[in-house]
Amino acid sequence: MEKPLSQPIFSVSDFIAVFNQTLEYAYPSVEIEGEVASFKVNQGKFVFFDIKDKNGSVGCFMTVWQMRVPIEDGMKIIVSAVPKLTQWGKFSLTIKSLRPSGEGALKKSFELLKAKLDSEGLFALERKRQLPRIPEHVAVISSTQAAGYADFIKILGDRWGGIRVDVAHVQVQGESAPDQIIRAINYFNQQEQLPEVIVIIRGGGSADDLSTFNDEPLVRSIAASRIPTLVGVGHEIDESLADLVADVRAATPSNAAQILVPDRNEIIRSVRVQVGSLLPRILQLIDQQKQSVRDNLNTAFDAIERSINDQVVRLSTLRSVLAQLDPTVVLNRGYALIRGLTKVGAMVEIETNKVILEAEVKNVINK
Amino acid sequence: MSSTNKTISEKTAELTKMVQWFDGDEFTLEAALDKYKAAEKLAAEIEHDLSSLKNDVQIIKQKFDSDK
Repeated sequence: MEKPLSQPIFSVSDFIAVFNQTLEYAYPSVEIEGEVASFKVNQGKFVFFDIKDKNGSVGCFMTVWQMRVPIEDGMKIIVSAVPKLTQWGKFSLTIKSLRPSGEGALKKSFELLKAKLDSEGLFALERKRQLPRIPEHVAVISSTQAAGYADFIKILGDRWGGIRVDVAHVQVQGESAPDQIIRAINYFNQQEQLPEVIVIIRGGGSADDLSTFNDEPLVRSIAASRIPTLVGVGHEIDESLADLVADVRAATPSNAAQILVPDRNEIIRSVRVQVGSLLPRILQLIDQQKQSVRDNLNTAFDAIERSINDQVVRLSTLRSVLAQLDPTVVLNRGYALIRGLTKVGAMVEIETNKVILEAEVKNVINK
Repeated sequence: MSSTNKTISEKTAELTKMVQWFDGDEFTLEAALDKYKAAEKLAAEIEHDLSSLKNDVQIIKQKFDSDK
């Protein structure tokens, strides 16, 4: 009988170590998609759950600090993990990172984290700071290759000038994106000369692409920024937790530029309107002055005319009175005028409207 | 920026003040034309300043793909 080849005899610990070494060589990192089951957190630090599908289940382990998005039983997730045999001989996955998989899980994770951060007051209106009216120094965090970034820079340049724009080029999707954005936020917050506002922008994308902006540490980093933040991610209909926690939310990167600075063309128009309205106003005032002089002259003329008319009326009245005193008028009414002494024998002259008579006074009777 | 070294905000504020003068108690028709000419000149300066300003966009050298 042939002697069998000698096989190594391991101690249990050595076997586990060799086994893990083999596993590490074969699967340095694996990504596994499945459903969460038996989720629990021990001592507020250690997270245990199973990832399963219809025919299998594997235990998973991670720390709470590695869990960047909340999960719960029934959620579909993708884990990035290192397979490992524990010292108790139990096979498990040591999770490096995880992310929700599929629209339903993303939405669920979003709602869970939103509720949690909301309960901490991170989205409260009283936390919101105002952006400077016209900033002179702006920090931008984005991918410089992204269309959203190009839109932002173009519209910013069209609308306003003279701004120092420091751009941090980062990934805006994928596993490393949240940490890169966090580092950029920290970088700007540590500068000696702080920018007046940090603008975080990214164009549209799938729910999975935009999930970067629902990362808990990133959301907390935006909330903790000493510099006011303006976030414009995705399209108008997209809502991320980064949007909610920002001091100001823009619907899109282009909208972020519109919010950040006024439109110079509008200001030029406004200046033109302001100055343009002055000359007609001066001409109007000159017209008003002319009219006022005319009105005064008319008033004076009216007063003179009135005075003359008064005098004419008065003269006419006096004339009438005078006419009444004219003796010929009395003679015409049939009376006679007698001139001479009223004594018997005196000669008197009697004047009527037609003749003058001479007569002798025959008798004088006192009344 | 024009030679006066005033910022656009300062110039805009000055222009607003000039325009307000026309509605104020100090308004006189005799002074209005000079004020108008000054406002027109300032408006032209503001327009020139606004049109000629460019942003200074700098991509910072710092890399953010790792903690180092």
